Amino acid sequence: MSFLQGALVFVVSAPGAVFGVLSFLWLLGWVPAERTVSRITGLTFSACAAALGALIWRLAATGAPSVAVTFGNWFTVGDYHFPLVLLADRLSLPFLAMTVVLSGLIGQFSATYLHREDGFLRFFLLLHLFAFGSLLVFAAGSFDLLVGGWEMVGITSVLLIAFFQRRTAPVENGLRVFAVYRACDIGLLVGVFAMHRWAGTASFAGGFPMLPGGQALVVCLLLLLAASGKAAQVPFSGWLPRAMEGPTPSSAIFYGAISIHAGAYLLLRVQPLLAQSWTASALVILIGAATAIYGTIVGRASADAKTLLAFGSLTQVGVIFIEIGLGLRAIAVAHILGHAAVRTLQFLRAPSMLHDYHQMHSAIGGELSPTGKHIENLFPEQVQAWLYRWALDRGHLDTILDRGVIEPLMRLSRVFARLDSLGLAEPVAQRRRATPKTPAELGASR
Amino acid sequence: MDAELVLSGVAFSIPWCFALVLTFYRRNPRAAGFLAAATSVLASALLVWESASLSAALMLLFGCLTLAAMLVLPKRDCAPGAVAGILFTLGWTLLAYWTENLLVLLAAWVLSALPFLIARWFGARTWRPGAGLLLSSFSLALAIVLIAIGAHSVSARTFSMDALRGKSPGGIPVFALLVAAVTFRKGILPAHAWIADAAEGGPAIPTALLLNGHLGALLVAKTIVPLFPQTSGNLFPVLSYLAMGTAVYVAIRSLSENAPRRLLALVALSQSACILAGLESRTAEGLTGALVHWIVVTVSTMGLFGILRLLEVRFGENLSARTHLGLAEHAPRLAVFFAVFGLALVGLPGTLSFCSQDLLIHGTLMSHPLTGLLLPIATAMNAVSIFRLFSRLFLGKRRTGFTAMADALPRERWILTAGVLFVVIGGLFPDAIIGPSLGAGVAEQRDRGRMVAHALHSALRF
Repeated sequence: MSFLQGALVFVVSAPGAVFGVLSFLWLLGWVPAERTVSRITGLTFSACAAALGALIWRLAATGAPSVAVTFGNWFTVGDYHFPLVLLADRLSLPFLAMTVVLSGLIGQFSATYLHREDGFLRFFLLLHLFAFGSLLVFAAGSFDLLVGGWEMVGITSVLLIAFFQRRTAPVENGLRVFAVYRACDIGLLVGVFAMHRWAGTASFAGGFPMLPGGQALVVCLLLLLAASGKAAQVPFSGWLPRAMEGPTPSSAIFYGAISIHAGAYLLLRVQPLLAQSWTASALVILIGAATAIYGTIVGRASADAKTLLAFGSLTQVGVIFIEIGLGLRAIAVAHILGHAAVRTLQFLRAPSMLHDYHQMHSAIGGELSPTGKHIENLFPEQVQAWLYRWALDRGHLDTILDRGVIEPLMRLSRVFARLDSLGLAEPVAQRRRATPKTPAELGASR
Repeated sequence: MDAELVLSGVAFSIPWCFALVLTFYRRNPRAAGFLAAATSVLASALLVWESASLSAALMLLFGCLTLAAMLVLPKRDCAPGAVAGILFTLGWTLLAYWTENLLVLLAAWVLSALPFLIARWFGARTWRPGAGLLLSSFSLALAIVLIAIGAHSVSARTFSMDALRGKSPGGIPVFALLVAAVTFRKGILPAHAWIADAAEGGPAIPTALLLNGHLGALLVAKTIVPLFPQTSGNLFPVLSYLAMGTAVYVAIRSLSENAPRRLLALVALSQSACILAGLESRTAEGLTGALVHWIVVTVSTMGLFGILRLLEVRFGENLSARTHLGLAEHAPRLAVFFAVFGLALVGLPGTLSFCSQDLLIHGTLMSHPLTGLLLPIATAMNAVSIFRLFSRLFLGKRRTGFTAMADALPRERWILTAGVLFVVIGGLFPDAIIGPSLGAGVAEQRDRGRMVAHALHSALRF
């Protein structure tokens, strides 16, 4: 294994190893001090940044377009194999750098932000797991491996949304986000299967597997479903404001920087296939445009800073989707990097910015006067009122999802429950044990 | 061969002996159960080393599950009768894995379920579990009777699976009865309801052991496919469709369920129905995926039921997923174990089920492109249900009704850690579980033009 390959393996695996060791020791009863955790985090990401810097420098010096590490197959069954290939090329390197730098910064920020918080260790464990998942997504040399990282990003995202576990709302919102993620991930799983079936491989380390028109369209549409879910594009945008229930540092790194852009990365990765199918490209542009418009309108009616920033992110990711659909790959990558950096700063600054704003109000003895120059003022008043109502309900997307998918599914589930109760003396749903109330129920009623 | 016979004899007869001893000498049940299960595990391990067959591997797996159950079993449940019942089930289940004779299989099939048919032993509160188990036994018995009637003369070879291989004894009626036996035992639609009833109304850990025997899948792999290659090729997809239908039906059903045991049973049933779909897929991926999934589902389900029982013992038996109980504050390690086992059941990356799901999805989509789509959909819904159960049980506001409750005790913690390590290390190094011989065995025999029996039989090496 050459230096370049070793560096790539180290960058990807270090956060995962730290997560594994710390969580295993915790399971056995060790609870590390806050300072220990933050130092380990700082050291890990500093080392990763150094290794990645060296990797980029050596690549630039030698003029090599990419570095790949092949570990063979994770498992092989018959003709099917799961290739373990890491790849750092001109597309993945900026994303790897973004992940390492921002994760390290967020780690340092969180050491103070979450000081003496109950879930301090849990946050850092999840941060490491998230970084590992993200690095796996961006360094994967095959879609099979990408799926692994993709799922890890999803689960850590959900667990961090439910970070403040004593409150019901974050927990329920986490569940909702999890459901959307899982539903959309079906597209990724089936898309990868389709690549295996039609192209014979899902690895792109040795060149992207090309498919004829119709098959390329099917794969693109399936991957677009997954990308739209992860990037909260219309019609899956409803989960993004719910995700703001998590701690601010996690909101910054997930929904301002890395997770929200994973969908765009996936589309950039399948750009050769997208370029083959103008239908898929048009759909990407359409979804991106719809999301950008949706994000900007709904964001204007948001009452809290984090939600406003989240919709700002959504707008930008919508624009990035348009760029990808138009084939403007370099612009899209630059846009992602710039947006991630600015948005992370905005998220991290949001709590203190509000504080500063209040101080400014006090200093001037009143409120700062509004500018009054908003683009929506160009519309007739009736349209403005309609748009305002539409924006307040966040485009009715959650309502549509509730009424169109969740409620019918739950009704069906209850019908099945009644069917299952046939032949029993009392319905399953109503059957309770004869024992008195438990401490749990007594506690709940207090 | 003699060594194999001795080792398998030790593996299933020692639990019976200890069960018998416990019936009369009712002291130290946990120690006796542990000793019997450990002996069984040791004999099965030696058998794996000796013969390296899948039946031996399944014996080892089930022995390990029982050993873990002995350690996790709360003091309240660790009565001599309960331990004897678990050992009784262990012995007969291992015999079912090992035997090559239909009559012995029938005996093992019936007797492994016997404790669950007796109300004062492991019987459930409703009639359906008993009915399901009895109907499955009746179907299997009738099928064997028809085979005997169809034979010109009844001898030991009449019931030998080796002798009957590929002969379709009894034709379609016997095939249908065997499929009915699988349907009832495995809880395939429309005979699925007894599984949840058994889990809710019976003792949690012994019922989990009964369900994790997967004798229905065993009958498919060991008997139906090798004996009925022609019929299997033509009619077997129907069972696969039913299995996938069950997976989706039960996954939808679990979305509105609030009783934790019932919910867990439904999710486990949905996930284990995928095993049948994989076995029927006639692809190397599907077959291997089904076998690996078998292992994952048993370990994860056992862990989940064990943790749930530990919670019930600590926090009351009426736990509900209707409200948030906030138990993670009292039992953070149990929460983590539950999360890992739960997510391992539904394909979390880094666990063994990620590989099994990957293989199953590829296998079923290859053989049934449309119905195969149901598999990832069912898994997605199961993941939501498991996460909902986790969040309702463990997250939320700390309850004031609980005082100082213990998190996982050392014996519980160690055995649960071993389970977690198994699914995680198995996920990191799946080839160690899939096995080069198993994968290659399936691959070599995989030929879509051939009869499914050849591929399956060589792969399973029963």
